[in-house]
Amino acid sequence: MVKTAEKIEEEIRAIFSADRPWVTIVWDDPVNLMTYVTYVLMELFGFSKEKATELMLKVHNEGKAIVSTGSREEMEHDVARLHEFGLWATIAQGDEAL
Amino acid sequence: MSEKSTQGFHRHGSNSYVADFSPSEREVLINLSSQIIELLAERVDHGHEDPLAAMVGITSHDSPPEDDVLRRLLPNAYEDEFDASEFRRYTESTLRNKKQAHAMAMRMYLKSAEDGTVDLDHDAANAWLGAFNDIRLALGVRLKVETQSHDELELLSPDDPLRGVYAVYSWLGWLQESLVLALMDEA
Repeated sequence: MVKTAEKIEEEIRAIFSADRPWVTIVWDDPVNLMTYVTYVLMELFGFSKEKATELMLKVHNEGKAIVSTGSREEMEHDVARLHEFGLWATIAQGDEAL
Repeated sequence: MSEKSTQGFHRHGSNSYVADFSPSEREVLINLSSQIIELLAERVDHGHEDPLAAMVGITSHDSPPEDDVLRRLLPNAYEDEFDASEFRRYTESTLRNKKQAHAMAMRMYLKSAEDGTVDLDHDAANAWLGAFNDIRLALGVRLKVETQSHDELELLSPDDPLRGVYAVYSWLGWLQESLVLALMDEA
């Protein structure tokens, strides 16, 4: 019975959290060159040079920036590609990230 | 082959990024790319796993590597430990293969460039960038770039072996930057 109650509670929590989008966060890293981070963001996300530079500067100055938002699967895809190019990136759900 | 040290990468035409390396520079880059390939190979699973799971890229690795350098190359994708290990189980071998492929591309281009000249297309240039970055991440762990400032590293004694490592690290950063700038050059 307890198990069922827990399951229901979990389900309900999932329903309420479903519309909070997932995000990909890029973290500041002393090894990665600023120009390289800009280039990778342009290359992987198709951002303009201006947009990519703005995000890179946010990472550099504030320690992190959200670079994409969407479903969990999409964010896992984005993080995998960022890791492939050596950027330090993690996935989080909406409000945890801010 | 030129004995002159490299001037970095330059764009030649619309899909050609060229650099000339001296014999010693070429050798350094071949060595470094080989070491990354070997390091990543150490992480490969031995035996004990389900062959079907292995075929679709699921590994028995669900915890981050103990080695500091490997942990830097194959980082967690979630801050939450459970989510991080689930994600790792399904994706780590793919990430490892892609990183190895980048370093292998670098090594292959250098080995076939007997005159020291490499001419990369866009995809090869991206592979080289990934390889440069992985090598710098690895050297950066050893140099403790996270906590040491560049000024402190500049002041290392000439007898300190890390001084040489830092020189290579800086040189690779400069080379990587020259390739990024060549790729971003829209002219």
